[in-house]
Amino acid sequence: MKVLVADDSRVMRQIVIRTLRQAGYDWWEISEAPDGAAALEMVASTHPDFVLSDWNMPEMTGIELLRALRAQGSDVPFAFVTSEGSPEMRKQAEAAGALFLIAKPFTAEIFRETIDPFLE
Amino acid sequence: MSFEIDVQAFEGTDPVYDIASEVFAAMIDGEPGFVRPWEGAPPAPVDELFAWVDVTGPMNGRVLLSTETTTAVEVTRALLGLAPDEPVVHADIVDALGEVANVVGGNVKSLGPDHSVLTLPEVTKERPTTEGGLLHTLSLDWRGRLLVLSLWMLP
Repeated sequence: MKVLVADDSRVMRQIVIRTLRQAGYDWWEISEAPDGAAALEMVASTHPDFVLSDWNMPEMTGIELLRALRAQGSDVPFAFVTSEGSPEMRKQAEAAGALFLIAKPFTAEIFRETIDPFLE
Repeated sequence: MSFEIDVQAFEGTDPVYDIASEVFAAMIDGEPGFVRPWEGAPPAPVDELFAWVDVTGPMNGRVLLSTETTTAVEVTRALLGLAPDEPVVHADIVDALGEVANVVGGNVKSLGPDHSVLTLPEVTKERPTTEGGLLHTLSLDWRGRLLVLSLWMLP
């Protein structure tokens, strides 16, 4: 399974990837994007099976990325890992077509509990 | 409108301390118990780094994290899971400290009203302006090292 992790923080991308491995997804082939605009290009060129994105990024935010993907006709499964998990943002994420939103800080257990149901 | 969080609503606990504890346990230490309030007067820090995010909209405030550069290096090492003798590059220190401020700030923002916006984190060696007034400060002891979290009103 090809997964794209988008976050403007290299350190946070490393933490997300490490936590995905700890959660048991060590079989995922993970690539990285440093912002929403780069992620949009990478979805078009690499066709990932799943996109895990930060919300607050320069160039293009995560919600703008999701809306751009859907506007282009892409139905790639998409979810957020972000430092804010307010009800307002969760509502926006769901309305735009995100599967779920994981708020930072997160643990491997939270990743497993949230992601596993979508893999069945 | 200023940056207002009703601390009384948290029944005497410090929500900023609760957030910091959770961030350190989940992201930095991998387990709880390594961060606690600093006991006594904190020492005067040297060679500081400042990381902050602003919350704008219905409330306007700044969430500021300050610590000595040597502590920021250890926070970065812990975040990246590096060995004690592995080198840490400056870009990663800036990135790591900014992310800690970002995650704390995002959670602090969630305590306030909807429709606020969180800025991207900034990290500098110079203390940023905090002219609007101090709302809350918390000195933390992380493995014997001092980190200070403070909330400020923005003018």
